[in-house]
Amino acid sequence: MPEHEPEQELGPKIADAFQRRAAAAAGPRGSALAAEARRRVRKRRQGMTMAAAAVVVAAAIGGVWNAIGDPSPIASSTSDSSAEQGSSGTGSGRTSPGLVPPQTESGPACPADHVIQSPGGASAVPRGTGLDLETQVFGLEACRYRLTPDAPMLLGQHSLNAGIAQQVVDAIKVLPERNPDLPVFKCTPQLAQAKEAIVLRFDTSAGVKEIWVQYDGCDTPGFFTGSRTYGLYAAPLKLFMIGSTRPTGSTYLNALEGW
Amino acid sequence: MAAAEARTGQLDFELWVTERADALLRFAYVLTGDRNLAEDAVQDALTTACARWGRVSRADDPEAYVKRMVVNAHISWWRRFRRREAPIADPVRSGPPAPDGAVDRAESDAVWALCATLPDKQRAAVVLRFYEELSYAEIAELLHCAEATARSHVHRALAALKTTLSKEGAEDA
Repeated sequence: MPEHEPEQELGPKIADAFQRRAAAAAGPRGSALAAEARRRVRKRRQGMTMAAAAVVVAAAIGGVWNAIGDPSPIASSTSDSSAEQGSSGTGSGRTSPGLVPPQTESGPACPADHVIQSPGGASAVPRGTGLDLETQVFGLEACRYRLTPDAPMLLGQHSLNAGIAQQVVDAIKVLPERNPDLPVFKCTPQLAQAKEAIVLRFDTSAGVKEIWVQYDGCDTPGFFTGSRTYGLYAAPLKLFMIGSTRPTGSTYLNALEGW
Repeated sequence: MAAAEARTGQLDFELWVTERADALLRFAYVLTGDRNLAEDAVQDALTTACARWGRVSRADDPEAYVKRMVVNAHISWWRRFRRREAPIADPVRSGPPAPDGAVDRAESDAVWALCATLPDKQRAAVVLRFYEELSYAEIAELLHCAEATARSHVHRALAALKTTLSKEGAEDA
């Protein structure tokens, strides 16, 4: 039997049945359908507009709340006198927009002289100075220091806004205590001393808090908060090693990829 | 300028719907077999078309575009309510066959009643094939299935219709 026989046999009957029924079908006038369609579209758009407005209002309330919760510059100045001393000689101020608090002389700007330059290693963060990684941060100043005893100096600095600062914190706090992929050196105390290091100075509601980053010499590399050590990995480094705060290389950076 | 364009767009839509509403409703009625469902399907399709009228009106065949929306709306209902569908009893022709000129009409009614018993996708395929006279490739595109599947829908529907009609014919004789 040919494949199309049932179609040829029943097709005309079905088409006829459909045409008869369709001819008898009547419904609302076209204009009524169009008007209802327009009404529904308007209503749908109004709903979307109201939802968008609600989101904007919520964001605005959140913004005001953040602004109220920002740390006072006066409080910062009293909490860290070294910052005040050093800020006058270091040049550039903040340029980052957004949630970065207004830049003041007493903000987290890099001091020309920092305690990291004193003998004792680039990992000995003083008590009370280190950042608790669960703290909300409002900005970050990355300060790169030369640590050689004969000529310590501020090599470079870079301001980062609240969003990036938080990303840096989030990237650090998930790291293990050490990076097993990095080489282990045995060297004399003279060579163990890092030639440079970076201090991350975070603006928080409790004042300026720091994380020290050691990536040179042959002591343990990593991120130091004073209470904990996190291994040296590229993910946080690439967020703040920019411009003048980006070293050309170091004993550990040379073994690390993607920073 | 923008307001003038919007007004023109609005007029186009109103005019187009006024001209095509009957055809769309007829198609939806044949597709769904129910006047209320047909009106809802057309209204939903027109609402979607209104929201994106700029694109719909630029299509090669806006009516085909909107009919596709009607089919999609119908299939969507089918998906949403398939578990709530009540089985329909097999159609039974009551009374003796109609005499003379009324035979055609009686047969037409019987075919319509039989089509109401088809699963929704089979019915949609049959409507698109014999009412819209689409190719199997076009039906497959509309029903979001393979061409072979579309062909299978139609052939299964025809087989079911033929079996029922043959049985009834034998009973009538």
